[in-house]
Formats: sequence, C-alpha cells, structure tokens
Amino acid sequence: MISSAMPRAQRIAACLRVGSVALLLAVTGCGGKTGPGSATGKVTSITVLDYYTDDPEHTQWGDLLTACGKTAGVTVEQTSVPGASLVPKVLQQASSRTLPDLLMLDNPDLQRIAQTGALTPLGQYGIDSSGFAKGILSAGTYEGKVYGLAPDVSTIALFYNKDMLAESGVDVPRTWAELQAAAAELTRPGRYGMAVDANATFEGTWQFLPFLWSNGGDESQLDTPQAAQALQLWVDLVKSGSMSKSVLNWTQADVHDQFVAGRTAMMINGPWRIPALNEDKNLHWGVATIPVPQAGQTPVTPLGGEVWTVPQNNSKARQEKAAQVLACLNDSTNMLTLAEQHFTVPSRPAAAAQYAEQVPSMAAFVESVEAARARTSRLGVKWPEAATGIYTAVQSALTGEQTPQEALKHAQRIATGS
Amino acid sequence: MKRAPDRGWPSTIIGIGLVAVMMFPVYWMVNASLQPAGNTLQGGWFPLHPDFSGYATALRDQGRNIVTSLVVALGSVALSLGLAAPAAYALAHSPVRGTNLVLFGVLITQMVPGIVVANALYSAYNDLGLLNSYLGLILADSTAAVPFAIIIMRAFMQSIPREIIEAARVDGAGRLRVFRSVVLPVSRNALVTAAVFTFLFTWSDFLFALTLTTTNTVRPITLGIYEYMGAHTNQWNAVMATAVLASIPAAVLLAVAQRYFAFGATSGAVK
Amino acid sequence: MRSGSRPVPDRCPTLRVDTGAEDGAVAAGAPVTGAAEEDDKHRKDRALIRARRWERLAQWMFIVPAAAYLLLFFGYPIAKNLVMSFQQYTTTTFYTGSAPFAGLQNYSKVLSSDLFPKALLTTVLFTAGSVFGQFVLGLAFALFFQRRFPLGRVLRGLLLLPWLLPLVVSGTTWKWMLDPDTGVVNNALRGLHLSSSGIPWLTGTSQALASVILVNIWVGIPFNATILYGGLQDIPAHLHEAAKLDGAGPVASFRHVTWPLLRPVVGVVLVLGVVYTVKVLDVILVVTGGGPANATETIATQSYELSFQQFEFGRGAAMSNVLVVISLAFALVYLRANRRARNVWEAVA
Repeated sequence: MISSAMPRAQRIAACLRVGSVALLLAVTGCGGKTGPGSATGKVTSITVLDYYTDDPEHTQWGDLLTACGKTAGVTVEQTSVPGASLVPKVLQQASSRTLPDLLMLDNPDLQRIAQTGALTPLGQYGIDSSGFAKGILSAGTYEGKVYGLAPDVSTIALFYNKDMLAESGVDVPRTWAELQAAAAELTRPGRYGMAVDANATFEGTWQFLPFLWSNGGDESQLDTPQAAQALQLWVDLVKSGSMSKSVLNWTQADVHDQFVAGRTAMMINGPWRIPALNEDKNLHWGVATIPVPQAGQTPVTPLGGEVWTVPQNNSKARQEKAAQVLACLNDSTNMLTLAEQHFTVPSRPAAAAQYAEQVPSMAAFVESVEAARARTSRLGVKWPEAATGIYTAVQSALTGEQTPQEALKHAQRIATGS
Repeated sequence: MKRAPDRGWPSTIIGIGLVAVMMFPVYWMVNASLQPAGNTLQGGWFPLHPDFSGYATALRDQGRNIVTSLVVALGSVALSLGLAAPAAYALAHSPVRGTNLVLFGVLITQMVPGIVVANALYSAYNDLGLLNSYLGLILADSTAAVPFAIIIMRAFMQSIPREIIEAARVDGAGRLRVFRSVVLPVSRNALVTAAVFTFLFTWSDFLFALTLTTTNTVRPITLGIYEYMGAHTNQWNAVMATAVLASIPAAVLLAVAQRYFAFGATSGAVK
Repeated sequence: MRSGSRPVPDRCPTLRVDTGAEDGAVAAGAPVTGAAEEDDKHRKDRALIRARRWERLAQWMFIVPAAAYLLLFFGYPIAKNLVMSFQQYTTTTFYTGSAPFAGLQNYSKVLSSDLFPKALLTTVLFTAGSVFGQFVLGLAFALFFQRRFPLGRVLRGLLLLPWLLPLVVSGTTWKWMLDPDTGVVNNALRGLHLSSSGIPWLTGTSQALASVILVNIWVGIPFNATILYGGLQDIPAHLHEAAKLDGAGPVASFRHVTWPLLRPVVGVVLVLGVVYTVKVLDVILVVTGGGPANATETIATQSYELSFQQFEFGRGAAMSNVLVVISLAFALVYLRANRRARNVWEAVA
C-alpha cells in the first residue's frame, strides 16, 4: 500500500525498485491508495496501534482511548497486534507511510524508532512533560527531545508462594545469600525453589538486569567482576538444582505457568501477572522487591512501560488530535485509573505517592519503580546490541559452555559490535 | 512375478511394533489434546477421561486461522496447477530449444533456501502492499509447489502416447483443446498427486507465514500454533488440540489418496 | 509386471531407475523424440511446416506463465538477495528507504563473527546426522516392508504420516515430549530407572543438537523409505533367486545384488537429503529456537534471525547466500563426480 501522501516521484521509484516484478504490479496495481493521512477536512476519527491484544487489557485501554477521544472530539479506531510483531509492523508501516495517528511503543524501542525519523517531538504540540519520573522521561527522549510519554510504568519483582514458604519455615529472602538458601530449602521432588526467564531473547535480558544493576554492573561495560558475580548467582541456582535448567527456554509466561502449577515456589515476574494470579483462589502469593547482594542495598530494576507517540504524517490536524488524546491518557487521573487496573505505577511521582497510600499491596512496586532505570538510558540506540550480548552470556553460562567471566567477555564483544 | 513365500503374522507383529514407535508422537499429541486444561504439564498415558474443552478453546482461538490456511492452500493448488500443468505438457511433448534450460532452472529452484525467497519477498511485498494478504501468501507458498508439480506432471505426460494427441490434432482440435480435453483428463492421476502435495506443502508452510505476515488478520494455522505455544503454556490441551486439527488434512488425504503419495515420492524432489 | 502390493497403480508411469545397463538412455530421451519429429516433418507438406512453426510459438505460450512465475519468485529473490547482501540495511532504511552500498562489509561481518564457524559446524553436523539417520533407518524400513505379510500395506501407509504432518505440529509435539522436567521421554527414562535425573534434551548444548537431529530423522524416514522401497521394487526378483541358488545368504544377497542395483537411487536420496536438510529452518525454530546458547543455530536459522529479528536484512542476505553456495557446491560436486547419479537425477526430473 503506497499512500497518496507519498510524492509522485517517490511512488514511482518505489514501483521501479521492484520493477522486475511487473506481473505483481499488474496484480496489485501499484497505484495510489488513499492512506489515513489524506484527510484534510475536519478530523472525526484517528487510528491507534498498540500491543494490548489480551482482554481485559484490550477493553480497558479501548475504553480509556474512547473516553479521551471524546474529549478531543474524535472517535478512536484501536488496532492491537501481538507484542513481538509490533516493531516489525511499525517498520513496515513506516516504509509504506501508513503509520497510525497515535502509536504505542515499548519504552526501549522508542529511541530506535525515533532515530528513523518516523516520530514527531511532543513539544511541538505544547505537551508538558514536566512532573514525570526521570527514568521514563529519559526512555521517551531522543537527542534531547521528548517523543513519547507513558502514563504508567512497572518493573519486575519477586513473587513467592506463601504456603510453601510457611511450610518450609522460610522467610522472604532479602539478599542473594538468603535467596540461595531459601531456594534450596524450598526445592522438592517435582518442584523447584526459584524460577526466572533466562530465554535467549530481550525478555531474558530484562530479567537479568536487576541482578546485574543491583550489584553495580553496567551494560556499557559487561566484562566486570560485578556482572560476573550476578551471573554466577544464576549459575549457582541452576547448578545446585534450586532452579530448573529449563529456565533457558522459559518465557515470562512459562515462568508464570510454572508458579501457578506449583512447580516453583518463587519467581521473578511483573505486576501484569497479578490479575491472572488472583484468578486461582487456592494460590496464596506474595510479592517483594528483588533480593540485593548485601542487606540494606536498594534494588535497581529495569523500567517497564509503554510510551505513546505521535508518528509523522502529512495531516497537521490529525496529529493535533492524536496529541490531545495522548495528553489525556497522561493526565494524573487517568494514570491512577490505569495503574489500578493493571497493577502498575503512575509515572508521575506525585500520583505514585498517592497511589501507594491507596493501594498498599503495590508499595513494593512503587518503591522499586522510583529507583528503576530505563534500558536505553546509558546506550540509547545501541541498547539492542548490549541486550543481545547479555542474554547470550546468560545462555552460555547457564549451559556450562563458558564460565561467567568468559561469557561476559564475549558479551562485551557483541555489545560493541567487534 | 511371484515373490518368495509370504511371511506371516510374526512380520506383522514386528511391523506393528515399528509403526507404533514411529507413530508415538502422533498418539501423544492426540492424548495430550484430550487431557483437561492445566494439568497436562504431566498428563497421563491414556486419555481415560477424554476432555474436549481443548478443542473448544482451539476452535475458538484458532478457527479463523484454519480457514485462512484452507483459503491459502486451495488458492495455491489452483495457482500451481494452473501454471504447472501447461508447462509440464509443453516440456513433455515438445522438443523446443530451451526445454533443458527450463528443466535446469526447475532443478536449481530445489537448491534455493526458502529464507532467500522470504528475505527478498519481504521487501518487495512491503513495497507492493502484499504483506499480510492472502494473495501474497498464495504466491509465495506456491514456490515449493510449482517446480514439484512440473516435475511430477511432466514425468507422467511423457508417457502419454503421441498417437492420442496426434489423432486429436488430425480431428482438427487446436492445441489448447487437445490440452484441455485430451491431455488433462488422461493425466488425472498426476494432477491429483500434484494437487495433494501442493495442498500439504502449503498447509504446512511455516517460513512464509512467519516472515510475510505481521498481524493477525491473515495468519495460517502453523503460525497460530507457534504463537499459541508461546502464550498459552498452561493450556497444552488447547495447543495440542490445534495441532491435531492442523494434522487432519494430512491424515484424511493419507486415508483417501495413499497411492498418490508413493507416486509423488518416487517421482523425486519432495521435501 | 508388478506385484499387487505396489501402491502405485499401473496406470501411473513409475519412473524407472537407471540401473546402469542403459546408461544415458533416459537422458537421451528428449533428442530421440526430437529426431522422430524431424522424420515426421519430412513426410508432411510445407504448409504443415509453417503450421508447426506457429505451433512452436503456441507451445511456448504453455511454458511462459510458469517460467515467468519461476523467474519472479526464484530469479528475482536470488538477484535481490545478492544486491541486498551488498547494502547496509538498518531500521532507518524502513522509513527513508535508503540502503547505502556497503561493499563486502556484510560478508566480512558475517563470516568473521564468532557465531559463523559454530553455525557452520552445526549445519554440517545437523545435515550429516540427519541424512545418515534418515537413510539407514529408511533403508531398514524399506527392506522390512519388502516382505509381504498381513496388514503390510496398511502399516506402510501409516508410516507416511510423520512426513505429511506440518513440521510445526510435529516439532511442537516433540518439544513437549522432550521437556526435561515434564516430558514423556524423561518420565519414561526415570520410570525405567535408566536415568535418575533425566536427560537435558533441550537444555544441554550437545543434547539439544542431538534432539533436533533426532526429530529431523523422524520426519525424514518416511520419504527415504518410500523412495528406497520404490527402488527395491524395481530390482528384478529373479536376481535374488539366482543369488539364492548360488548359495548366497540374505547378507551376501544384499551386498552383491541389492546394494549395487540400488546405488543410483541411493545417490538421489542422499543428494536430495543433503540439499533439503541444509536449509531446514522450521524444525529447529520450533524445537529449540536455535538455543540453548546458540547450540542449534545453523546458517539457515542465523540468516532468519539476522533478517527478521534484528532487521539486518543486508547481513541476513549475505548469510543466506552462503547457504546457497554451500548447497549448490555440494550438488554440483556430487553431480560431476557421479555421472550415473546425474542420469537418474535427470530421469527423476
């Protein structure tokens, strides 16, 4: 689909690029197809793309978008694609100039997409980005300009099965040593003490970050003793049999399923699992901050959350409307609503404090989120390479192919592209 | 000609044993699909209390993808036969210069990895708006089928006696009519073989489904299972029920058209 | 002429395998008919010659659509892939459309990466292991089903199923069966006290490679068995009987009669096996996803990941071109070295 927004010459060039595909052209007609950007009159509706495919999330976001649309005087057409296909979809739409009017992105992807030139700085719509937590604001910023804002943020924490801990007489672990001891104590035939996602994907990286960062490790220099110690902790958990070797293949969803099935006593996961955990009435679970190397330290966790952006298109009017909806999503009241619905944390510290008072069970997350770090804060658009290096190192170390030191040396080479 | 004396039931027993080992994964898939939701992390050896809720979930979540696969597979059968049958006939019955070149080209296609095709098609499709479309998938999926169909049908059509064709020509039939009313009816078996294989190739396609679709609007069942697997591990019965549903065409075709498979295989170039 | 147990009805022309005695006859097939047509032509009058010329044109019209399709969907991708492998693709390329010429940079990056030698070795091991296993077991099955016994046909038919199932389906099932903690394979091993902790099928690096090879062998047995079975059927029974009269046992009969006559078919099976196995992607993606720790990463999966996960289409194209070269080189070397096999190959085509 080549939008009419595209200059004629460019369109012809696009056709010529695939010139040898003459037959295809005849089939599809490389003509002008009207894109969403062509409307010049009064804007009555805008398109939105996100990855909230599952209910109740999908409906909750749909309702909020509709409500915000109403205040801006437009109807909202919401499309949701699965998380893994969002970036491919956005890139595809970027090249065919069919981007939606309002686009949601996972925060570590923002800089990469902003770099392509497909997004617009929010400053030009007069959106005020003050009062947001530093972490999420930095994730939404590229080259000094804010391109995306997130109404609510989250991070990961330690979930535990209260019954199992009580049965074994184990306290909720606070430090790495306690974690190892507790995991060993909780392991039984057919059950592991601990579970993480050590998958060879960015999700695996995301779960390792709290261990790396809390120990003073850093993604800009991976071959450090701090990083090796963090990796050694995971290796030891697997080696001692407190954690299944299958963590190598598990996604966060798998980890959740293991926990619900009673096959693991503790797990690392995010608050978005809480609604599903609550569904099982026989499951008594608790949540705590991720254990730190030494008692008294503050855990540094990665910042999760989706930022909303206004992509480039040729209709100023549509962009304005989209920006109004974006601002509405990010106002303090809606932040609170979203946070309560999804067990996340409002991204304005002021709102978050109020929230912690209202919902005490979320206090662990509010506390973690304050110290949470955006994945792109150090490396910006270079983050994907470092993330690849990290999960590769985790895999090599957990399989026993390499020692943590060797694996991280290799990871550093991947991160720097050498 | 008579073979050495037939072996008896002992061979049958060994044969059943061998097939049982080979078929175990298929049994296990069916067994898993009939377990109740959730506990299939450790299902029993036999579906003593068959539970069809997995199928209900599978049909609800994946029903649409099955229809998509069906549309794509049938479209690909039509396209492949439409392209391959005339070509096979011409290659079998006309010693025109260039025949060998075309045949060589067909052979070369067998060495081109699907990922090469997918790589290039992705950007071409992106420009043409063919990503996430039935047409795009049908065109791409036929890449496995067209060369194969040409090979199989040409092999068959070579055996059609020239006299039959000549006789029809003498009666004044044009080339197209000879093809339509003489060659095609006589080649029924080869056409069915090619159609059956094309259907199964396309139905089983995973690579193009994975690379040339980015949304859930047009999603073949194979990709449906792959993504299902990642998202619903606590519903293995539904995942496995989907797998069973996706196996039905192969099983049905095997039951009704077994002889065509042997023909297809002995004619070479099959995955 | 055939025993009733053949699944192929006599109406179907089963491709006869060139046993060496009539070397070249099949390849010469086309020119022979050509000569016949020449003779034919001389007997007809000039008007007919002109008609024939027109006919030839018409004949080409039968080929053109298929040829055009093949050019578009194989020729174009090959060319495009070659071009892409010299360009630098980034995510920005998607928005601006510009992919600057990068010379040999993609190739040097791909070939010098730590992963390449490993992936190459894995590709070789995966291919050799799969082809060998499929062939040996396929031959065993083919020889066994040569026997005629009650239910033989039905069982032989059932045997085809693993080959016909979508690979995603069988891969998913195997993945679940091989799960180290909860899979049926380890449960059985533990139940039989063959292994106390079970085998880390999907989590150990060498075990995971063995697992994907195992699954691929399982998938490939029916195809190998079917072709070899067809080849065995074409060996005249009287040769076996003669060998028997000479006092040859089953082993000697296999060595001196069956194997030499089956050689050409064996060649085809092995070449096809290698050509198809080298590019296998779905089995690996579904069962192990290339892991753990890249232990099952082959050239094909690498190419997929570079292009479709990292959006490095240039490097992905370079990687897949390496695959094409490997595949072509193997086929050509083999075909040159073995003319007889080439005849069969052509007969097959």
